[in-house]
Amino acid sequence: MSYDKILFAVVIVLALTLNADFVYGDPEIIAYHNKYVLFFALVISLMATVLKFGERSLLGSTMLATSLVADVQLIGAALTWAYLSVDGDTVSAADSVTIVSLAVGALVANVVSVILLVIETASLRR
Amino acid sequence: MSDYQSRVRPGALLLFRRLRVPMLVLIAVYAVAIFGFTLVPGVDDEGNPWRMSFFHAFYFVSFLGTTIGLGEIPYAFSDYQRMWALVAIYSTVVAWLYGIGALLSVIQDPLFKKLVSEASFAREVARIREPFVVLCGYGDAGTLIARELAENNIGVVVIDSDSARIDAIETDGLPVDVPALHGHAGLPKSLLTAGVQSPYCMATLALTGDDATNLAITQNAKLLNPNGTTVCVAHNHEHQAAMARVGAAHIVNPYDAFAERLRMTVLTPSMHVIYEALTTQAVTPKELQLDVPTGRWLVVGYGRFGKTVRRHLLESGNQVHVICNDRVDELGDDQTVGEALDAEVMRRAGVENAVGLVCATSTDSHVLGVTGLAREINPGIYTVVRQNSRLNTPLFRELEPNIATLSGYMVAGEVLRVIRAPQLSYFLRLSRHETEEWAANLLAEMRERIGGHVAESWSLTIDQISAPALVKRMRKGQVFDLGLLMTAPDNKELRLRAVALLLQSGDHKQLWPGDDTTIKEGDCILFCGRDIAQRRMNLTLRDGSVLDYLRGVQRVV
Repeated sequence: MSYDKILFAVVIVLALTLNADFVYGDPEIIAYHNKYVLFFALVISLMATVLKFGERSLLGSTMLATSLVADVQLIGAALTWAYLSVDGDTVSAADSVTIVSLAVGALVANVVSVILLVIETASLRR
Repeated sequence: MSDYQSRVRPGALLLFRRLRVPMLVLIAVYAVAIFGFTLVPGVDDEGNPWRMSFFHAFYFVSFLGTTIGLGEIPYAFSDYQRMWALVAIYSTVVAWLYGIGALLSVIQDPLFKKLVSEASFAREVARIREPFVVLCGYGDAGTLIARELAENNIGVVVIDSDSARIDAIETDGLPVDVPALHGHAGLPKSLLTAGVQSPYCMATLALTGDDATNLAITQNAKLLNPNGTTVCVAHNHEHQAAMARVGAAHIVNPYDAFAERLRMTVLTPSMHVIYEALTTQAVTPKELQLDVPTGRWLVVGYGRFGKTVRRHLLESGNQVHVICNDRVDELGDDQTVGEALDAEVMRRAGVENAVGLVCATSTDSHVLGVTGLAREINPGIYTVVRQNSRLNTPLFRELEPNIATLSGYMVAGEVLRVIRAPQLSYFLRLSRHETEEWAANLLAEMRERIGGHVAESWSLTIDQISAPALVKRMRKGQVFDLGLLMTAPDNKELRLRAVALLLQSGDHKQLWPGDDTTIKEGDCILFCGRDIAQRRMNLTLRDGSVLDYLRGVQRVV
């Protein structure tokens, strides 16, 4: 057991769970989706990306790729939200679906990332 | 998988890995600062309670960390917001300093530098689209060979384990860019990076000072590229068999090479002149005379060099007396034990009645001292010295020995000959067994034909590429002899200023073939002569009408 491995797994799983937290709820109603949760989902996703930097193996590179995809999707969701609510505009139902669906894309990438983590762990023979 | 890994840039991997923690710190500090600003209460311009959105918080923190001071926007801050701004300013500035510091330290890291230079070396080698030679070991010999090859437009790639030598390449001012790798040439990875498997790699030269390393280089290069030529330097005879077994095309032993040259000068002085004329640039067959005396020789030092020289001196009919520090049983009475720098020891060894002295010890100051002493006692003595380091050349120039040899120069000369003209190597090897009379006749012929001009040597293969007209007529059944090639293409009465030295027909090799020798397709002929003769001979080889003209003449005569 090493703290590095625990931290690594925690960050990756946390990126998935926070993402799921944000997505849960009626996509048409923006009030069901917390902006703080999106913020932390993005921050944790960026940290997960940095942790995967410099991995030599093919699996490690694929994990990095999934993280980058999640980052792009979450940044897209955050930017869309910021743009649509500029000057205090209220977010319409259609805009709300756009924001949430971008985050759902990130969720898919994060699921793949966790699956790869499980595969890597399982393939390690001790 | 391994193929995938080989394409990953190790330098980039290292950079990312070392920067992980600074980047995590930066993200965390920014996240906390932005999050804080969205929570801290403020008031807008109308006095209503107000909190920053993520958008405003991100905007403010972004310029806060890097510039400090675009002002408090969009509304003047409350005191709570200012407190948090203080925390954010100090933490982001520190995080940036830490991150930039870490980046700079990685860039300056010797390991990172090494990885980057290796990567750029590999890129340079991969970009080579001309024939090149992989040179392992950039010592005295390597330096000379690299310079010669570069001046002849042959690419050179260098591997050396000494970083000072790698640095020397940049300051040596070679006429072309020479990619250089700092690493152990015995490792297969180094050879692969240096491009031994490239289709443009002509040869691998193992020139390090260590025989075991040279053996490893030869073996690895041969396994990695079975079609490539390998030239290997050996300092000990024991290693030569193994080197030949693993596929070294040519093995160069500097001591043997020198001793054989010495023997040649004693036994067949004409051959020596031919040798010098053919191998040294800008020496004509007319110049250069060495009169090595025969009689009683003194050899100082009985190492590898001393042993080899003694053997060859004995074989060429001299008596040899050895001065060495420890008694050697096999020498019997032909030795004086003692320090050669001692005049008493010198006299006991009989320096007064010796015709020549060979000084073959491994320190240059000792060599200089012993030679000086011997000359003091016997001013007429013929001196042959072994120079150990190129740096001492000015001292040896002052000493003016009759023959000075530096093993680096010997190696360079032999290796260059092998690369440039393998046939010349064969010729020189075969002609060593000929008599002085034969050599004198050949020299006379060369002097008559070439005269006071610089002798060039070149090889001609009778094939479609170099002799299309000749081959076309040979296939029709016409028979040609060597004399036809030696005739001037524009005047049947004149001969080209060249001499044919060696005719290789399959496995058969004929030294100094006569004009009536029949030539066949596939034959390989070594000529020496003026460079203009080579150009004129090309006319005969490529132009059918010239051939017909020359044959017509032959039929009449």
